Amino acid sequence: MKVIDHKIERLLWQVQKPARYTGNEWNAWRKDHAGIKVKMVLAFPDLYEVGMSNQGLKILYESVNRRPEMLMERAFAPAADMEELMRAHNLPLFALESGKPLAEFDLVGFSLQYELSFTNVLNMLDLAGISLHASERGESEPLVVGGGPCAFNPEPLAPFFDFFLLGESEECLPELLADLDAFKQTAPDRKELLAKLSEKEGVYVPALYRPVYKEKKLKALERVDPGAPGVIKKRLVKDLDSAPYPAAPVIPYLQTIHDRAVVELFRGCGRGCRFCQAGYIFRPVRRRSREEIVKTAREQIALTGYEELSLASLSSTDYTRLDELIDELDRALAGEQVKCNLPSLRLDSYSIKLADRLHRGKRSNLTFAPEAATERLRRVIKKNISEEEIFTALGDAVDAGWQGFKLYFMIGLPTESDEDVAAIAELCHRLKQYFRRKAGRRISISVSVSTFVPKAHTPFQWEPQLPLPEVTRRQEILQQGFKKMPGVDLSWHDAETSFLEAVFARGDRRLAAVLEWAFKLGCRFDGWTEHFSMSRWRQAFREADIEPEDYAQRRFEYDDLLPWSHLDCGVDKEVFIKEHRKAFNLDADFEGEFR
Amino acid sequence: MTRIKFRFARHAPLKHISHLDMMRLFQRALRRSGLPLVYSEGYNPHLRFNLALPLPVNVTASEEFGEVYLSETVSPDQFVSTLRAQLPESLDLKSASSEDYKAPSLPSQVVAALYRATLGREENCRAGSSQFRAALDRLMAREEILVQKTKKKKKQAYVNVRPYIIEAYFKESGNESPLELYMLLQAGSSGGVSPFFVIEQLEKELNCDCNNKAFWELHRESLYTDKDQFLQPLSEGM
Ligand code: SF4
Repeated sequence: MKVIDHKIERLLWQVQKPARYTGNEWNAWRKDHAGIKVKMVLAFPDLYEVGMSNQGLKILYESVNRRPEMLMERAFAPAADMEELMRAHNLPLFALESGKPLAEFDLVGFSLQYELSFTNVLNMLDLAGISLHASERGESEPLVVGGGPCAFNPEPLAPFFDFFLLGESEECLPELLADLDAFKQTAPDRKELLAKLSEKEGVYVPALYRPVYKEKKLKALERVDPGAPGVIKKRLVKDLDSAPYPAAPVIPYLQTIHDRAVVELFRGCGRGCRFCQAGYIFRPVRRRSREEIVKTAREQIALTGYEELSLASLSSTDYTRLDELIDELDRALAGEQVKCNLPSLRLDSYSIKLADRLHRGKRSNLTFAPEAATERLRRVIKKNISEEEIFTALGDAVDAGWQGFKLYFMIGLPTESDEDVAAIAELCHRLKQYFRRKAGRRISISVSVSTFVPKAHTPFQWEPQLPLPEVTRRQEILQQGFKKMPGVDLSWHDAETSFLEAVFARGDRRLAAVLEWAFKLGCRFDGWTEHFSMSRWRQAFREADIEPEDYAQRRFEYDDLLPWSHLDCGVDKEVFIKEHRKAFNLDADFEGEFR
Repeated sequence: MTRIKFRFARHAPLKHISHLDMMRLFQRALRRSGLPLVYSEGYNPHLRFNLALPLPVNVTASEEFGEVYLSETVSPDQFVSTLRAQLPESLDLKSASSEDYKAPSLPSQVVAALYRATLGREENCRAGSSQFRAALDRLMAREEILVQKTKKKKKQAYVNVRPYIIEAYFKESGNESPLELYMLLQAGSSGGVSPFFVIEQLEKELNCDCNNKAFWELHRESLYTDKDQFLQPLSEGM
């Protein structure tokens, strides 16, 4: 067992939740570095509790570590108190398993889940003592690689990364690490090595391309190296059953956000909501077989002792013959006292029935995401549920004894009018009355409203985000509506963080300078309200001489060159155009797509 | 149904985890072990398992106790070997015994705990051991040591915790060895005081002018129950 480094140990008694930094959890891999050919750290640019709730991290950890010739350790962003101590004591960012500094590894891989964790990426590189700019990294420094959803438009991060891995990495990452080891023998330097790596499918080496801008617009992306691929295709797992998946995931000592066994039902989502990036970049839908799900669930419960099992996917109830699966799981886990849960429920009666079957215990809250409150707007975004379906489904849930609902909505969606915004409160009001008649008991409703962020690789990628003052005005309409509604709990996302998210989600390489400024000005954990400071960000934009509004509120034309157009998520531009057109021309073939 | 009481030590690598996290750790280890566990009835069944007294974060321990109910008879030795296989090395399961299952619960038996605080010398307070001893004498001579407790309705109440410090003394030690403070503190359902609080008060009494914050390593030596008005270690009879 690793003995916690004395230097680290001396800091831990002074920080909150020291177990974030100690590692050594049950089921964690402990590999002797001697004799291992390729060593990688998976760096998650958020707190331990957040990172350890990410299923992707657990899958990659398994996929690399099951190979004896390589290893993967973990590192997370230290909280402010720990960062301060680390800097004061000159302690570099270390990997949890061995306590070794990140700079001693061959590869540091960042999981890029969320634009607002980008400053943490820079901070972690800095804390690790790794040169921020890929171009300045010496031969002995690790290669820095990024993957995850934000790698589908990683341009704002381009100068800081040696390469990105597009798409699903659990199969290709171990392959790539093996290649890396082989290439190292022959490639004379880093540059050659990266050139060789760029020949692999899914590998994007940003230094091989040079953007050309004209009048604030991206005009061309030139290839620095004529051998670089013109388009980088994403990697994809073909068969989930044979892809690596952890049977014995690490059990954190500290309670994390999702502290439970997780078995993935299927990857991808066939619904095609037009705002949803996950719905496009994880295509096509691939399902795990029932046998494999049951087997994995059993193993995970036996090897973790978890009391809760989550059947994860983007839209659980789309799994065919889910009821049979639940029967089988019931039998397989009989007597184990395991609670199953089914996140990402669709708002229909079938989903309610399944939720009922799963929850034998106390029925507290069910969560749904209607996203928009009028049928018209739901059609625009292709979240095709009718008002009647909503009422029937929630009514069934009330009959089944559920105590309340959490509903997610968005404002600022394309074509949204003031009426659509006001409709959120009206819908809740009607639901309240309906529940009162139906149940005769108090049914709690909590409503959470976020602001629409146009994302790359979606039919809405060309759409602007609403200007900030307009978002604020619509948030006021929203609040007004709920004023007269006691007992309904309304919360909304901060408009400024959504604004920043929009800037980076469709950003280009010019934003790298902003990120660097923001990091230097002390921006960290921007997704956490208590750390976010818009004034610091404004200053960063000023220093870099960039108008953030130009990015967030930009409307792209179909023939504009998009900063991510060389990155192929597997969906043709024509499909996005078609979907985009359909969104604004509803009556044409609406009937056809309304199932 | 049987009830098993077990004894364990917590070593340094695991001292950073909270009581709730310890509970979860044990529950999951028990669930992995395949032992015939017992759950409570009702909507939200929970494992019938207890730890004798919450162990604070950053404290190691040599004699901690837990108890668990089993639906079938399992010998203490078998229990120990089965559960040991599911525990991290830094949680050292030492022994177990069968208990009368109608006896009061383990947490309700605890009345006191003995702590040892070792002063880490390197970077810390320059006060000498005689100053520490004098400060402790002053502290123990006080009749009242008040702790602010915020009650519900925002009323503030003070509790005098001085009576909860049953004993506190520095171990006689040579000049070379680190200073060791032993504290026997009341604990459990009838009220108690945190060892960290006592140290804080001691440092206040010390009133040393060097601004270094002392670093104390805390260790819990043993837990006690009440036996005819005398303290008896919980390990008695194991
Ligand atoms: S919002 Fe949900 S249902 Fe719609 S495409 Fe995305 S994952 Fe699928």
